[in-house]
Amino acid sequence: MIIETRGLRKYYWLGREKVAALDGVNLGVEAGEFVSIVGPSGSGKSTLLNVLGCLDAPTGGAVFLDGEQVDYKNKRSLVALRRKVVGFVFQTFNLLPTLNAVENVVYPMIFNTREKKKGEGRGKRKGEGRSESRSEGRSESRSESRSERRAKARRLLERVGLGSRVEHLPSELSGGEQQRIAVARALANDPKIILADEPTGNLDSRTGAKILELLKRLNDEEGKTVVMVTHDLESAKRTGKVVEILDGRISDGRLDGRLQ
Amino acid sequence: MKDLFALACRQLGRKKLRVFLIVLGIAIGVAAVIGVTSLGEGIRVQAVEQIKASHDLTTVAVSAGVEQGTGSVTLITDSKLKAIEAEKHVLFVAPFVKDAFVTQNNTYLAVTGVSPDYRRVQGHGLELAEGRWFDKGEGEGSNEVVLGYGVAKRLALVEGLEVGDEFAVKIRLYDEYGGGTGGEGQGQEGQGWGGHPKDKPAVFKIVGRLKSSADEHDNQVFVAIARAKELDEKEAYDGVFVKVDDPAFAGSVRARVEGLGLSAHSAQDVIDEVNRLMLAVTVVLGFFSGISLVVGALMVVNTMIISVYERTKEIGLSKALGASDSDILKMFLAECVIIGVLGGILGDLLGLCFAWLIDAVGKPFLVSALGGGGGAGGGGELGLGAGLQAGSITAVTPEILAVGFAFSLVLSVVSGLYPARRAARLNPLDALRQI
Repeated sequence: MIIETRGLRKYYWLGREKVAALDGVNLGVEAGEFVSIVGPSGSGKSTLLNVLGCLDAPTGGAVFLDGEQVDYKNKRSLVALRRKVVGFVFQTFNLLPTLNAVENVVYPMIFNTREKKKGEGRGKRKGEGRSESRSEGRSESRSESRSERRAKARRLLERVGLGSRVEHLPSELSGGEQQRIAVARALANDPKIILADEPTGNLDSRTGAKILELLKRLNDEEGKTVVMVTHDLESAKRTGKVVEILDGRISDGRLDGRLQ
Repeated sequence: MKDLFALACRQLGRKKLRVFLIVLGIAIGVAAVIGVTSLGEGIRVQAVEQIKASHDLTTVAVSAGVEQGTGSVTLITDSKLKAIEAEKHVLFVAPFVKDAFVTQNNTYLAVTGVSPDYRRVQGHGLELAEGRWFDKGEGEGSNEVVLGYGVAKRLALVEGLEVGDEFAVKIRLYDEYGGGTGGEGQGQEGQGWGGHPKDKPAVFKIVGRLKSSADEHDNQVFVAIARAKELDEKEAYDGVFVKVDDPAFAGSVRARVEGLGLSAHSAQDVIDEVNRLMLAVTVVLGFFSGISLVVGALMVVNTMIISVYERTKEIGLSKALGASDSDILKMFLAECVIIGVLGGILGDLLGLCFAWLIDAVGKPFLVSALGGGGGAGGGGELGLGAGLQAGSITAVTPEILAVGFAFSLVLSVVSGLYPARRAARLNPLDALRQI
């Protein structure tokens, strides 16, 4: 399993009231699966995605990514995981408005290449500890030059079907095109897992369907594991596996009737 | 690193007006500091140049040493003179003796006993207007004197003495208490409390008179040093001018003379004094103009904090995409570095303009305040007023520009540290949720 959670809990305090966003979630995702997580607003599905994406720390329970337990207290290893293992696609695209399409895709690579050199230096000095980041650093020890990175970004943009308009600013592009850039950006550091938070939520149904197709293609052709949060059941139906979350728990089978 | 700066340029390019204003703010502070510093430097250079022009930097003036505390006096004896002469870099020594004569009509004359070398030390003055100099002061010509410009005038007026005339004087000798320097002729009259002064008669012949040298030599009667020592029965010299081969060695020679227990001065003392004074003035003025730099720094802090607020979501996104805390910190600091560099460059340019402006507007005022004639007044003593008219009162050196630039850079980066740390510590999820 590439993603596994055991008894995952996440509590918030709203004033004096304790809210359980995640209340004992046991989820397993095999490598190469396309999983959609559905549920009503406030069910905790986005929280789950953020915890998987190392943006949020759980209150309790364990998360395993790519076979290793995530240490949510170790900032450095979290950064390494965000860089190497997961790629994010957001509902609102979240492109940097001052950068054009290529530059937006290059952006995460900038952090990545710089970490490689430093990461290795640190690993040696500190000896053992942090086996994750060290092995990550070694597996990709080639450093990319600026032109290499741009070329790679262009290839990625081509792969998501945006080969021609790569020098345009996001504001000059349609929502669908912007989301394609965002998908290309998520692929920038060759992650094994793509985490998509309502990727079609801000798009009309036709454009949304195309983005979904794109994600499916990445899943089929390149074996990327995709975890997508959505509240659109039509979209969810087209993925390999649907997980429904209700009140912070995985509810089994209640949606099955509607999905078939 | 390159990518970071490229990115920072983009970010700053997004808000050109804001960046321009902040850069201008810093630049004005830098320019103020540069302007004030260059003014101080300019006046210092002018003053030093004046001193160098009017003083011989290769001459060290030596006088008897008085030990602090005990008050014991070290006199300039012949052996001391030989010791000085033997020092390295000393070309020659020119001792002199001060005496006082009284003419038959009770005119007091200040007398300096000099060797021919003494004239070589006083490069500018002691030019003969008429007649000739005396020789070594032994035998026949021993009673020959040369009159300073003022003395010659006075004697001609009061006593009707011209070059070639002889005149009788009394040489007033005091015992050890009243002895020593007889330079101020009149001043000694009331000092006879140590015993009765005795008067020794002598006859002198005027063989020459001098052109005006516009200094104390105008009021001196010059006599051969051997004769002067013989007349006043003193063992020691009243002073020695030591000529050094190079101004660079004046200091070391001076130190070694002081090592002999004597006291020594050179024009470098005056230059050092001016340097010290101007440094103090410049530091104080620079400090106050530096306050504008503090204002500039606060502007940077303010702008960067606003920038962090505005870009909270962007920061969260960057973190989600794999930026570490230090990546974010560096991103913001890179922007501060760019602001600092721009502020430094613009500040240097404005500083040059400012210095030019001070020169154009402030100089006429300063010259009139210091007395442009150069003859009288406080500034006139150094010839400062006159000198200012010739040169520039501001001097912008590469060092000043470099310091101004460094100020801008350091200040910007230091001011950016707090906002940048704030940005770096943002929780990615909270930041992403921000609108």
